Amino acid sequence: MSSPARPTSRGTRLTPEFLRQLRSLRVAVLHPKDEDGETLTQQLQRIGCQVQTFWPPIPDLPDNVDLVFCAVDQDVMGMSFNWVRQEQPPAVIAIISYENPTIFDAMIKLGATGVLTAPIRSTGILSTLVLTVGLNEAMRKAEKRVLRLEQKLLGINQINEAKSILMRTRNVGDSEAYRIIREQAMSRRVPTEEIARAIIHANSILSGPTG
Amino acid sequence: MSNSDPVKVGVLFSREGVTSRIENSMLLGTLFAIREINDAGGLNGRELVPVYYDPHSSPQMFKSLATRLVLEDKVNVIFGCYMSSTRKAILPVVEKWNRLLFCPTMYEGFEFSGNVIYTGGAPNQNSALLADYMASRFGARVYMVGSDYIFPYESNRIMSDFVHQRQGGAKLGERYVRLDAQESAFAPIIRDIQAKQPDFIFSTVVGRTTRMFYQAFADAGLDPARMPIASLCTSEEEIAEMGTRIAEGHYTAGPYFQSIDTERNRSCLAHFRKLFGSQVEPNMSWESSYNQVHLFAGAFVAANSDERDVLLPHLLGMEFDAPQGRIRVNPSNHHTRLFPRIGRVNDSGQFTILAETLSGVEPDPYLVSHSFDDWSNRLRVPADELTRRE
Repeated sequence: MSSPARPTSRGTRLTPEFLRQLRSLRVAVLHPKDEDGETLTQQLQRIGCQVQTFWPPIPDLPDNVDLVFCAVDQDVMGMSFNWVRQEQPPAVIAIISYENPTIFDAMIKLGATGVLTAPIRSTGILSTLVLTVGLNEAMRKAEKRVLRLEQKLLGINQINEAKSILMRTRNVGDSEAYRIIREQAMSRRVPTEEIARAIIHANSILSGPTG
Repeated sequence: MSNSDPVKVGVLFSREGVTSRIENSMLLGTLFAIREINDAGGLNGRELVPVYYDPHSSPQMFKSLATRLVLEDKVNVIFGCYMSSTRKAILPVVEKWNRLLFCPTMYEGFEFSGNVIYTGGAPNQNSALLADYMASRFGARVYMVGSDYIFPYESNRIMSDFVHQRQGGAKLGERYVRLDAQESAFAPIIRDIQAKQPDFIFSTVVGRTTRMFYQAFADAGLDPARMPIASLCTSEEEIAEMGTRIAEGHYTAGPYFQSIDTERNRSCLAHFRKLFGSQVEPNMSWESSYNQVHLFAGAFVAANSDERDVLLPHLLGMEFDAPQGRIRVNPSNHHTRLFPRIGRVNDSGQFTILAETLSGVEPDPYLVSHSFDDWSNRLRVPADELTRRE
């Protein structure tokens, strides 16, 4: 504990980049135009998001929607939304009136990563929005990284396989096998993984049907 | 309830505690407006009666007294709060019982409640102008000193964003002192300021520590002409407390200064002095406290009720000829259109107004990212100030 006379010091108060972008966020609201719906859209407008409301729910949304607020009710539960299956689906915040397993199941199927419980209050909408958008950004980055790592791992396996083919067929050592692959890659200006795949492919043709 | 019954309203401003001095001026601003309304015949013939409690600058007391106003005194409307922490304490009470709170203090933004009307400024109505003015005249290397609570944290975030947009902009320090700090708390800060030599100092120090900070600054021989303090909350009341000698040359942004040279403001001040003497110095928080009672009265006369659901539609869009200019409650965010100004303390302890907006500025309490862009063409800068800059 510092003594009361000692001033505290915090050095890095600056706004994170994604918070600065809140006003360019394209938001779709799938919610009846009742009191909750109005509280929600009015607060989103105060925050300064670009808001469009759709009700009754429709299967398709305009392109480039970043965030969907979706009421999880009977109408929605019977729907099949195309945006849920998009390659980069929008972030989804579910609005639920019941906290029971049926509703949770529907909420998760929508791909929701945030939730608001009805009745909706103005307070709480912005924090849920910030958390959901932040979380989705982090998830998207993590997915990209996983994809990159998977490809890398696959490449390494292929190079290893190609090396062992060369070692066997040309009777060379491990480092010599790798040197051959790298030389080919350099002279043809392609990645080593591609040379490795070509070697594996050629080997499978040359060795012919074994069965 | 018959039509001649008095209309009781709750009033919560502190006469004790760390922010008692400014809150006392807000109390008198409120009572002044109530007096004017009653002298003019009341609300549709009904007398407006304040029910007052002293919350001692304490969030817990604000909360319990607001509850008492609602449950025991049965008021529908409460006027009060200076610090954000006290407003946050009352918020659940007025929301739970569906009452209406009028809050007169400029604050850090990012709030909306259907049960609150905000008549002080949002950051786009004061921080933006102050940052622009100071950075373009003194440079964008800023040192920040604030009281240790939410309003200074958020104000400093906004100021940080501003100065980082500027070429050569930098934050040289960010220090917080407790609301009940003693003089000695400022010594290391002043030493640090002397070592770092910022272009200006951004102060969000509030309450009785304000005097200590300006005093320490003056005692160290620092020169406001070269390195001024720019504040959002140092008003005529704080100047009266610290004395003109210490305050002179420093800057404040706000929608109201006593020195506004209009007939409306002069006659309002004269009338206030006549009724209340010179026990407080009229200031921006005094004025917004005064304004909001008149906004309420205007809506009450139209609605003939002070129940939140009946009153609110009449309140949204309500206008009032305030001493600062014609203000209006923004129907979408419940904040108020105001007239941002920049003042510098002169040798009579008043503010010389250096810049003011030609028309009001609409409140935008949820603006995360402010920019410098559109201030210059909305400002009126007096001719002598322009020549001084050459």
